[in-house]
Amino acid sequence: MSVYIGPAIEAAGLNKTFGDVKAVDDLTFSVERGTITGFLGPNGAGKTTTLRMLLGLVAPDGGSATIGGRRYVDLPEPGKVVGAALEATGFHPARSGLSHLRVYCTVSGYPLARADEVLDDVGLGPAKRRAVGGYSLGMRQRLALAAALLGDPEVLILDEPANGLDPEGIVWMRRFLRRYADSGRTVLVSSHVLTEMQQLVDQVVILRRGRLVRQGSLAELSSGPPWALVKTPEVERLLAALGEGVADLRVERLAPDALRIELAAAHIGRVAVDARVELHELTPGRDDLEQAFFELTTEHESEREPA
Amino acid sequence: MTSLIAGEFRKLFTTRLWLWLLVGAMGLTALYTSLLIGFSEDPDTMTAPLHSPEGQRTLFAVASGGANTLVAVLAAIGITGEFRHKTATATFLATPRRGQVVAAKLATYALVGAAYGVACLFVVTAIAMPWLATKGIEVGLLDNGLPGTYAGVIADVAIFGLLGVGLGALLRNQVATVVGLLVYRFVAEPILTGIPALDSWTTYLPGSASAALTQVSLTTQEYLRAWEGGLVLAGYGLLFAGAGALFSMRRDIT
Ligand SMILES: Nc1ncnc2c1ncn2[C@@H]1O[C@H](COP(=O)(O)OP(=O)(O)O)[C@@H](O)[C@H]1O
Ligand SMILES: [Mg+2]
Repeated sequence: MSVYIGPAIEAAGLNKTFGDVKAVDDLTFSVERGTITGFLGPNGAGKTTTLRMLLGLVAPDGGSATIGGRRYVDLPEPGKVVGAALEATGFHPARSGLSHLRVYCTVSGYPLARADEVLDDVGLGPAKRRAVGGYSLGMRQRLALAAALLGDPEVLILDEPANGLDPEGIVWMRRFLRRYADSGRTVLVSSHVLTEMQQLVDQVVILRRGRLVRQGSLAELSSGPPWALVKTPEVERLLAALGEGVADLRVERLAPDALRIELAAAHIGRVAVDARVELHELTPGRDDLEQAFFELTTEHESEREPA
Repeated sequence: MTSLIAGEFRKLFTTRLWLWLLVGAMGLTALYTSLLIGFSEDPDTMTAPLHSPEGQRTLFAVASGGANTLVAVLAAIGITGEFRHKTATATFLATPRRGQVVAAKLATYALVGAAYGVACLFVVTAIAMPWLATKGIEVGLLDNGLPGTYAGVIADVAIFGLLGVGLGALLRNQVATVVGLLVYRFVAEPILTGIPALDSWTTYLPGSASAALTQVSLTTQEYLRAWEGGLVLAGYGLLFAGAGALFSMRRDIT
């Protein structure tokens, strides 16, 4: 058996048209193993369609999509390679969450007890014997995630998993995915809300109107120079340490002990430790990122299709 | 494939529909049995007298009429429900080769149909034996060609399971499939088979093929031979299922 060492997920030249809507337009991107990649774009950008093409549910008009180097339909045991929770995945309302998962345990040859395990993992243990018809949207999201976990897959593909979750649920989901990726596995997670994702993802793939607008690390995404908010009782010592070797350090003094410094937070932190400067707060700048996302995904006048 | 079939049975038994439709099929069989025995001495009756072998075969064959349409409905709901409730996504993620899902459902609902057929034969037996005894008619359950009738009934109801899966695979829409099945069986087909001029081709309709399979005639229509009827009926089911697997099941799941 040969070992596949390429990217976890690869899409090459994917195209899909529904009627006269070009949902996905010559889309090429890849997802590296061990990363959490955010698949971002406004509603209607083509995220769900792309994920469904990756999973063999929607046939592309052109291009190819592979997971671990193979098309989804060619995976002998797909559930062990990739688990997916997609938007608009349904459940029979009269079936319990446990029964739903047991069906797929039976089909895929997993022990039935696996259904109980994943339900506990997502915190649905107490509700598992209730009919899904009575589940809240957040509970359905958890059940969909549980289904994705059944085969203990290497890759997770999640479509807008934060939809319908309350703030606590979102925090829970982020922690869950972080732990999952920290064990060396890969997560591709879509969202139309950058703020849900920016504390979570390492990499981003940004889509607008079916086209790729940016792929790269989260840091590369922000258009302006990086900056950070710093609180320290030793302002002068910090600036002295940071100023060494920097031609023009841009600093804005917000309060006697608070600064906005145009440097990456990680760099400031490292320098502060080396110089033994006490820090009370160190926050990486965020608004540039949101601004960048907004600009990347907002329609420009010149691009609008003629009426 | 056995794990896929086991999964289909798990889907079936984790909701209650199979039970309601089984009760319905047994009730319908009880009704047909009672009507047939109750009117057996009516001078206008078209059935052979119940002490004759032919009459007894006709009596046991009502089990197929009680069960077959409801099994087709159960099977149709089983496959179209995947689209109605959007469980098709989970199902095709677990089994990306969609033809295998159709094949597993065909096998499952054929087995379910056979079981419904057996249950409805028990209903006929339970009603007919004591009732006919009061009329001085002893029914030998292994005599008068009755075993052949049992086989015909079981095969017939099993094949209606194939028909329901096949039609559902082709149409995908639950309401259209179920309404189509019921309207066809209870309205369109009786009208068509009631027109003697059309007999030469209406013998190939599913209902007539079904009657041929159980070798029971309540009309003056000429039927195919039993095995021919079985083949014609299974042909419809497999044709629909094949066309469904080739065309409509391949469509995008969005
Ligand atoms: N089954 C479908 N039929 C017609 N249009 C569709 C279908 N699915 C998606 N679309 C269209 O394709 C575009 C992309 O949709 P989608 O992939 O759902 O975007 P996203 O998930 O990013 O919100 C939208 O314009 C949507 O209306
Ligand atoms: Mg979407």
